[in-house]
Amino acid sequence: MATDVTRAVLTDDDAEGEGPLRRSRYAERLLAPLSLVLLLGFWEFVVHHYAINAILLPPPSKIAQALASGLASGLYLKHFLVTVGEAGLGFCIAAVSGVIMGTLVTQFWLLERTFYPYLVALQSMPKIAIAPLIVIWFGYGGTSKVVIAAMISFFPILVNVVVGLRTCDRSKIDLVRSLSGSPWQIFWYVKLPNALPFMFAGFNIAIIFCILGAIVGEFVGGEAGLGFLIVAANTTLDVAQVFAVLIVLAVLGVTVFLALQVIHRKVVFWAESDDINRYS
Amino acid sequence: MAVATPLITIAGVGKTYRTTSGGVVKALDSVSLEVQPQEFVVVVGPSGCGKTTLLRILAGLAAASAGRVRLRDEDVRGPRRDVGVVFQDAVLLPWRTVLGNVMLPALILGLDQVASRRRALELLELVGLQGFEDKYPHELSGGMRQRASIARALLHDPSLLLMDEPFGALDAMTREAMNLELLGIWQKAKKTVFFITHSIPEAVLLADRVVVMSARPGRIVETLAIDIPRPRGFEIFGQPRAAGYVTRIREALGGASQGGAAL
Repeated sequence: MATDVTRAVLTDDDAEGEGPLRRSRYAERLLAPLSLVLLLGFWEFVVHHYAINAILLPPPSKIAQALASGLASGLYLKHFLVTVGEAGLGFCIAAVSGVIMGTLVTQFWLLERTFYPYLVALQSMPKIAIAPLIVIWFGYGGTSKVVIAAMISFFPILVNVVVGLRTCDRSKIDLVRSLSGSPWQIFWYVKLPNALPFMFAGFNIAIIFCILGAIVGEFVGGEAGLGFLIVAANTTLDVAQVFAVLIVLAVLGVTVFLALQVIHRKVVFWAESDDINRYS
Repeated sequence: MAVATPLITIAGVGKTYRTTSGGVVKALDSVSLEVQPQEFVVVVGPSGCGKTTLLRILAGLAAASAGRVRLRDEDVRGPRRDVGVVFQDAVLLPWRTVLGNVMLPALILGLDQVASRRRALELLELVGLQGFEDKYPHELSGGMRQRASIARALLHDPSLLLMDEPFGALDAMTREAMNLELLGIWQKAKKTVFFITHSIPEAVLLADRVVVMSARPGRIVETLAIDIPRPRGFEIFGQPRAAGYVTRIREALGGASQGGAAL
């Protein structure tokens, strides 16, 4: 779903083209929503026609009702803010510590030798599996969710920072060295900006992981948040509510992803065109 | 001033590399050369003759395994402020504008920003890039990028300009145009230039003196003063004298590559 939305946003910029081209673009853009309407209609029809129990599969109309009432009562907003807060805080912690740790590991050879093997080993461990432990250690409140979110998004950021700082053109480093630049200047003027595209690739993965981490934390044991809401609705067999919360989650995921894409393109504006030019 | 002290003194310089498989490769073997202030010296040699290694030693980016390199009367032990390097590819930083790239030496060397900015704009005009200050490298052609990198190498007013096959990646037409422009820039900026190429006509066109190197291990096989009046253009190749130089360099290279790697 995320990629569909990105593509729609991307084509927006070049929609200003010639007449016939433009018309076909519009028609093309109608395809996705149209297929959704057809699917929902089919779903509604099947549920009513075969009298499927709403506990198994609620019709789209019921889900829409649940969504509307949840939004109107402010119930979703309250839990939405809890989950966003946990995921956001977790992301900030992971981003800051991932960038600092990645920098230290690549700048100081001894640190790399000492810690990097452990970091790689930890990275290949499914961190979701530790979630119950984290809840025991940090309690049922928001802290445990922040910790889980930070933990699972730390590694994609770290690995990308390390790769980004390492894959630096020898010639760019030589350029600064030839001007008698210090290691710090090499880092600041060349290695760090060179690593930015990689860092953003890590951030893109991490931001989704953070939401995932917060939700899993709320599943395992929580008092608030969209994950908590899903579990609560599940236990009362309010399946329409579960679907409605899933829609809210999907919207959250897509929004966050798109926002990061915009920032990404603003910050590392050179990355794509430079790669194309280098081989031309 | 007539008996000027050489700007560069290279005395018996050798360089050996240890390969990962444990072997030892001799890249340079007792190279000796003196370069006078404001002289334009061009080094020609087959690929892998160590000419880039020699330039890296001069730039202080690599250490010699034997012999000494002196700039005026100081040993070269590392990169120096009074040297500007132009690399094979322009090596512009894609996240900085053209002006930002040309200003880079000022940032690294901690020079006065206002004065450097003024100088950067002058240099961009000198290399014919006025109006492109705020463009990014990916918006420039290959020739324009290399011009920006020449402006960058001149920013901190080095007395020595090291150029490592700066036009090797350009197409023939752009390359010839850049050769003539470099001559113009050199005549205005009055720098000592140490220029590496494997193009013989380029060497004859540009040089006061051409140094011919042999294939690995790199040795100097011939040094040839190019006695053609300046300003020069490509019309010099209509003269028998220029054609004679080209032939002599080609012969020196031919003899040099015997027993070594093919040209």
